[in-house]
Amino acid sequence: MTAVKTTETAAPAGDIPPALPPDVTGGARKRRRRGGAFDRALPYLLLAPALIAILWLIGWPVVSVFVTSFRQLNLGELVRGEIVWTGFDNYVTVLKDERFWTVSLRTIVFTVGVVVASVGMGLGIALLMRVLTPWVRIALQIAMLCAWAMPILASTTVYQWMFDQNYGILNKTLVQLGFDSFAGYSWFSSGTSTLSVVGLLIVWQAIPFLAFSLYAGLVGIPRDLYEAAGIDGATGWQTFRAVTWPEIRSLLMMVTFLSTLWDFKVFAQIWVFREGGPSGESTTLPVLQYLEGIAKSHFGVAAAISVLMMLILGLITFQYLRKLLQTEEGKI
Amino acid sequence: MLKKSAANLTGLALALFFLFPTYWMITSAMKPKGTTITSDYDLIPFSVTFSNFVTAWTKPGFLSSLGNSLLVTLTAVVAAIIIGITAAVAMSRFAFRGRKSFVLLMLVAQMAPFEALLIPMFLMMRDLQLYEHLSSLILVYFAVTLPFCAWTLRGFVNGIPVELEEAAMVDGCGRWGAFQKVTLPLLGPGLVATSVFAFITAWNEFLFAKVLIRSQDRETLPVWLSGFQTAFGTDWGGAMAASVLFTVPALVFFLIVQRKMVAGVTAGAVKG
Amino acid sequence: MKGWRGLAAGAAALAVAVSGCGTSTNSGSTTETKEITVWLMDGSAPTTLTDALNKEFESANGIKVKYEVQKWTGIQEKLTTALASSTPPDVIELGNTQTASFADQGTLADLTADAGQFNGGEWLGGLKDSLTLNGKQYGVPFYAANRTVIYRTDLLQAAGVAKPPTSRAEWIDAINKLKAANASNPEFQALYLPGQSWYFLLSLIWDEGGDIAKLDNGKWSGTLDTPQAKAGFEAYKALYDASATKKVPADIDEAKPQQMEVFGTGNVGMMVGLPWELGGAVKAKPDLADKTSAFPIPSKKAGSAAPVFLGGSNLAIPAASKNAAAAKKYLALLSSKNYQDQLAAGGAVPGTSKDTSKLASNAIGKAMADSSPNGKVTPVTPKWAAVEAGQNPLKDALTAYLTGAKTLDQATKDASDAITKAMA
Repeated sequence: MTAVKTTETAAPAGDIPPALPPDVTGGARKRRRRGGAFDRALPYLLLAPALIAILWLIGWPVVSVFVTSFRQLNLGELVRGEIVWTGFDNYVTVLKDERFWTVSLRTIVFTVGVVVASVGMGLGIALLMRVLTPWVRIALQIAMLCAWAMPILASTTVYQWMFDQNYGILNKTLVQLGFDSFAGYSWFSSGTSTLSVVGLLIVWQAIPFLAFSLYAGLVGIPRDLYEAAGIDGATGWQTFRAVTWPEIRSLLMMVTFLSTLWDFKVFAQIWVFREGGPSGESTTLPVLQYLEGIAKSHFGVAAAISVLMMLILGLITFQYLRKLLQTEEGKI
Repeated sequence: MLKKSAANLTGLALALFFLFPTYWMITSAMKPKGTTITSDYDLIPFSVTFSNFVTAWTKPGFLSSLGNSLLVTLTAVVAAIIIGITAAVAMSRFAFRGRKSFVLLMLVAQMAPFEALLIPMFLMMRDLQLYEHLSSLILVYFAVTLPFCAWTLRGFVNGIPVELEEAAMVDGCGRWGAFQKVTLPLLGPGLVATSVFAFITAWNEFLFAKVLIRSQDRETLPVWLSGFQTAFGTDWGGAMAASVLFTVPALVFFLIVQRKMVAGVTAGAVKG
Repeated sequence: MKGWRGLAAGAAALAVAVSGCGTSTNSGSTTETKEITVWLMDGSAPTTLTDALNKEFESANGIKVKYEVQKWTGIQEKLTTALASSTPPDVIELGNTQTASFADQGTLADLTADAGQFNGGEWLGGLKDSLTLNGKQYGVPFYAANRTVIYRTDLLQAAGVAKPPTSRAEWIDAINKLKAANASNPEFQALYLPGQSWYFLLSLIWDEGGDIAKLDNGKWSGTLDTPQAKAGFEAYKALYDASATKKVPADIDEAKPQQMEVFGTGNVGMMVGLPWELGGAVKAKPDLADKTSAFPIPSKKAGSAAPVFLGGSNLAIPAASKNAAAAKKYLALLSSKNYQDQLAAGGAVPGTSKDTSKLASNAIGKAMADSSPNGKVTPVTPKWAAVEAGQNPLKDALTAYLTGAKTLDQATKDASDAITKAMA
């Protein structure tokens, strides 16, 4: 029954998982019967609300962000309703600022680090779950569900408390274990350290989705493939390479892609921990956009940053979609 | 055998890793006032109280932001689901000119980096005079979740054999009747799953809630909680209690999905 | 309900656009004012004052007051978005250092012609300067206040400190005695000093003869890397290091968590704060009321008080306010003698009344009045706000220096450069 499979694959998501194409039935089945004018118009009528909403609430802002990035738009211009075109000035300002390059590089390194860690561990846990005794597996799944269900702001607050300089349980535990230098140790004294804690938080919350989806993928692999491999006398690693890997490769590619999209845009956790500090050292592109646009009210410059962000993400998305649409599963 | 127990130990260690923050949140929330902030080693609580929950519940802003979060999230998700179903049915059950490009549009739209649209969204809401009104958040969350809902539901509709609908129509049900009597019930589990994911996304959202809403009585929970240090001072117990209360609705929804999904699948199997 | 109407209008406009009919919709309406929205800041006016004021205003004019208290944390962003909207609040309170920038961007109503209604003859000079741009007034002075050292009389006495310190050396001495006397309490803070209390840092820098920035040929540049300013940083570190056995984190400021809450736990001997903060602490722990007093921040020169940052607020009406006339009436009422006296009694220098007799009647008011002649402000220019917005270089420099992440030279140089850049 296909419904079983689709529900499994789309298992609970923390952030929206743009669903895997669950076209197991082999694409849409179309009605062939010819009807009247109403019947011909019906699909368009059904689509109209969604189409209007998307064009209005996504399409228009995308156009608008490009347009705004060519305007000088500070609080004054906004309030007076002035339209001042500045050509590429905003881009020149942004690209000439060495801070932008530092922040971009930091964002990319951070994203790659978090994605590699979370996908790697997610896959590891998915593989592990297959060999666990059932009650251990259920315990692990429940634990992961708890991490996953916790709203981001709640988990961020809890992490702040655990990593608290004077009273945090982590420092207290480390001192108990004999590492006295951790008494009053600040985990947020440098950008690297701050981003590591934020990264840990993100990885911790991202793994459940990844592990559950990959586990669902692994469970779907027919047993006889493994039995055949077993008869051939393949080692564990060979079985993984020959049987498991080909079956979950596209799924893995998809979750890696999704993780990249999500982790690149992280704002809440970074902002709530130290507002991009200390000394701006944990500022990433979304934080920079917020600082320029909302805190300093340079909306034009912020729009230019947004456009550059969208270009980076657009490039990744385009690459992925191209690959996806080439494959059988991506058939729409 | 040795290998198996090593694996089980790793599994249990990982379970602890994932569970610990939840454990710590709950125990910190239940420690009596004055014993939360202490240099003593207190991994296991000695005494238990619920007074922190009372503190958090009665903090100015908690109840109103909880209400706002529920209102905004539920409205947006219901709208996204209803419009998502119609689009999903159109994409899945009809052949028409432009179907392919529309499906592609949905796919691309659900990958749109919303965070990068902060500035134009802010300007747009300002021009619509929706800025500072909860309806602006509803619109944003609706827009964030709609493409995802439509896309996912399309997958679920595809999973329901079209022959069932055709049979119903042969039996004299209209197109609407067939949808109502056959497709919708079978779609149940999918609907629940989809709406929970959409709910979680909107429930978590922070950036737009922070920028589009400025008065305290319209704040949503994430924004309210992000200012917990101004609300709670150094009262970590109270802050943890508020976090627990914030987590509960999300956790409940997760559990509902678990149960309903099993029930829905078995029901589908009997009818199918 | 306005928003929903806007939503409908937006949807209608969209429908029109989609169907291709070109009628323009106009949702602008000029109904008479039924309600005004007033934003005051946390701690600026006692609740008894605002309750009475709002009640009197409502009954005199038949207009409801939607009164909201805002927190200082993140206020710059909040004001920016509020002022950018087409339906801003009708009366807002602005920090004196922020006013010029918002006025410069044309977001505040010009009140020059109305000054008479607001007791214009008695405006407090320092605040009047901060709201004047190109000879026009964009606000009404609200109140001024400066920081003093608020302390526990009982604890100082018990530690053998007979009279409040009058020099920095004496102050550190008093801190050490307090610490020794309370050694049994591991949570005790002789002086509660978070690492980013930058208004207090300004005091120390000015006391050493330094400053934040200087103006040369119309260009501002940071001067935190001068020897005098560095001496101010060193003084801060000396106090910070002495303050407690278990130090307050170096990367938080006095508002996160609010230091009055910490003082209210009873584990704190002194804090550098504003009068209203003591009020907050007393609310948390009422018996503190008779056990607290204040002295001016001591200078390094014995017997004199250090210069202080003259903090304060102005009241302004956003240019886009739909209810400006009612808002002016509200400001006029607030500027009247009755309410100004109440402000003074609450421990603030009133903005539109020269009568400060009510202020000197309590210890903190007196300490404040003693140091206010030494009051100084941040550079008066619209460009200053960019320094405070978002990531404040002064706070970053303090954290980096106190944690040892950067040397003093490096930290002050980076901060100076950041200020130069922000004010360019």
